[in-house]
Amino acid sequence: MTDRLSRTTGRRGSRRVGALLVLAVVLFAWLAPWLAPGDPYGQSLLKALGAPDAAAPFGYDHLGRSMIQRLAAALQLSLLIAGVAVVAAACLGVALGVLAAARGGWVDRALVLVSDSLLALPGLLLVLILSALIPPRPLAFGAGLTLVLWIEFFRLTRATCRSLLASPGVQASRLLGFGRLYLFRRHLWPEIAQLLLTTAAFGAATGVMTIAALGFVSVGMQAPTPELGLMMVELMPYWREAPLTLLQPVIAIFLTLLGLNLMAGGRQA
Amino acid sequence: MTPRLEADDISVFDSDGARLLEPVSIRLEPGRPLVVLGETGSGKSLLSQALTGALPRGLKARGRICLGDTVLDAARPADHRRLWGREIAVLPQEPWLSLDPLMRAQQQVSESHSLVRGLGRLRAEQAANRDLAALGLAGAARRYPHQLSGGMAQRVAFAAARAGGARILIADEPTKGLDAERRDEVAALLLQEVAAGGSLMVVTHDLDLAQRLGGEVLVIRQGALVERGRSAVIFELPHQDYTRRLLAADPRRWATTSPAQTGTETLLEVQDLSLSRGGRSLIEGLSLRVGAGEIVGITGPSGCGKSSLGDVLLGLHGPDSGRVERSVARPHAYQKLFQDPPSAFPRTLPLGTALRDLVRRHRLDAARVAPLMQRLRLRPDLLERRPGEVSGGELQRLALLRVMLLEPVFLFADEPTSRLDPITQQEVIGLLRELACQGCAVLIVSHDPELIARTVHRSIALTGGNGAGPDDRSHAGLAAAFG
Repeated sequence: MTDRLSRTTGRRGSRRVGALLVLAVVLFAWLAPWLAPGDPYGQSLLKALGAPDAAAPFGYDHLGRSMIQRLAAALQLSLLIAGVAVVAAACLGVALGVLAAARGGWVDRALVLVSDSLLALPGLLLVLILSALIPPRPLAFGAGLTLVLWIEFFRLTRATCRSLLASPGVQASRLLGFGRLYLFRRHLWPEIAQLLLTTAAFGAATGVMTIAALGFVSVGMQAPTPELGLMMVELMPYWREAPLTLLQPVIAIFLTLLGLNLMAGGRQA
Repeated sequence: MTPRLEADDISVFDSDGARLLEPVSIRLEPGRPLVVLGETGSGKSLLSQALTGALPRGLKARGRICLGDTVLDAARPADHRRLWGREIAVLPQEPWLSLDPLMRAQQQVSESHSLVRGLGRLRAEQAANRDLAALGLAGAARRYPHQLSGGMAQRVAFAAARAGGARILIADEPTKGLDAERRDEVAALLLQEVAAGGSLMVVTHDLDLAQRLGGEVLVIRQGALVERGRSAVIFELPHQDYTRRLLAADPRRWATTSPAQTGTETLLEVQDLSLSRGGRSLIEGLSLRVGAGEIVGITGPSGCGKSSLGDVLLGLHGPDSGRVERSVARPHAYQKLFQDPPSAFPRTLPLGTALRDLVRRHRLDAARVAPLMQRLRLRPDLLERRPGEVSGGELQRLALLRVMLLEPVFLFADEPTSRLDPITQQEVIGLLRELACQGCAVLIVSHDPELIARTVHRSIALTGGNGAGPDDRSHAGLAAAFG
């Protein structure tokens, strides 16, 4: 009991650090454009790879665009797509998970078959296929990520609900005359909710990572859209002249992923 | 030669320095079991945990432990570690939970042989097979824990604990949740160990087991030693009032329930009921009539379909064939009491909220709760806690209260006291009797023949499949059968 308690407080501590990190990244993404006004697309070749100045505190990239502007815009894009995808995936996954656990039978088997088949496809491939089908890239990425991420929510919810629905507590509530809504609200939801934060944080990290990875191999967002992976690959040829400029998107993605993973609670013993 | 274990002034403190266990000194000798008796939450498990150095984190022990020539400080549990398995073996409670669900029985035992004693893989496996065969488990060596019965799992856990060669065995509630037959097996197992010259310490609230083991008895209540002495003396002539109450709570000493009125209203009628689970026939051709105010016992080995029968009687599942007729049409008049009280409530919900939900759901009079709480001796502050923070006995009474709010005519009590200590058990059974006196029919499932014999008006023995039908014997006949 006490053992679990101290472990929980330790985990809570690292979760708090993670949440603060994520908050800092979010604040940077949305506040930086206000603090140092400018245009992430505005080129000024004279300032290419230029050192930081008052207008651009983080310096300029190879086309003379303000790095702070581009970083903020890139983070906004990644976080928005990942965030929307996670929320959509959570809603879908939890709803279907509860449905599968409660109904059982062929509904359950069909849903498990679908989720297992999707799981057999590599996530990156799934996102790529969708971006071929849906022209607007951000929308395609959001949809693709949702399709990848809902499986985890579904599996967790289904497993949790299956054992809960078979428990004496649920049987007692049924005998006492409570309906399905009550069972969900009092028995299922509190247990699912505890898992959601962890899964959501991992999901968001996967999302941010996927977008950057696709950008890095030049099949994701297209130039001149500011995107972290794309920025890295664009700045790569200038690593000797401007190493710090190249490091900026790397650090941004590192901090985002670190924050999200800490928030997820790390590896649980 | 087994070293004797001597422990002086063992006490346990929590992280705030509050004393949870007053200093106790014990001596474990070969061939003479030591039994620590007490109710749930009395601190008796703390003593065994302090001795083995396995206290939950945050708790601190004080005292000195001598084991042969080794002297250990109870405050430094890390030093105990190298004794685990080699000198001291711990037989865990709830063997199903302590075995690795993904390992076959033989592996669980051979692992101890190879990791603790350092035998090679083949020799460890041979040794494991020998151990299992000696415990009558030769056929179960390839089975996984979920394929073992409670008693078999307990024996596998015993073999695994003993494999390291330890001759001092510490068992914490070794009979918890086991039915009568399995309890006898565990007792025989422990006695066999004592007869072979091992040292044994058992922490339990099972009075029957305590009496059977003999040796020395320590009675502990609220973290303090109440009484100690030779088993025979304690059981014959207890000095302390508390010990007397504890012993009187043994079902063997209960008064029998007064006979029910005959010819009362029929509440439940079962005709020619058959039931099977997973392709195995559990019950065949059961006919039963339960009248108001009757207490009917249901006995049988674990897995014989007692709980499944309950589900069918309550209408949660349909029977394979036959007819179940519940004569009272009012909804929610047929209720159930569960074996494991904590799992019968929403885990994360304060108990008061759960009760308020019930009152609101059925538009009950909320004023009825307080007097009922008083009658069931439940403190109002319990309602602010969650199920995990309340003792099993209190939770079971609360579960009873929850059911009583709906004024049931029929209650299926599925092993309602098997996880409770004797005093609490007596209380809960007393409450069920009261409920029956008010005209509610009560079906009690229990593995304790003594409890059944003294509580029920008549009982049904289920045999569990193979076509052997249940017989509906009178209470007197059953009592005679148990002699």
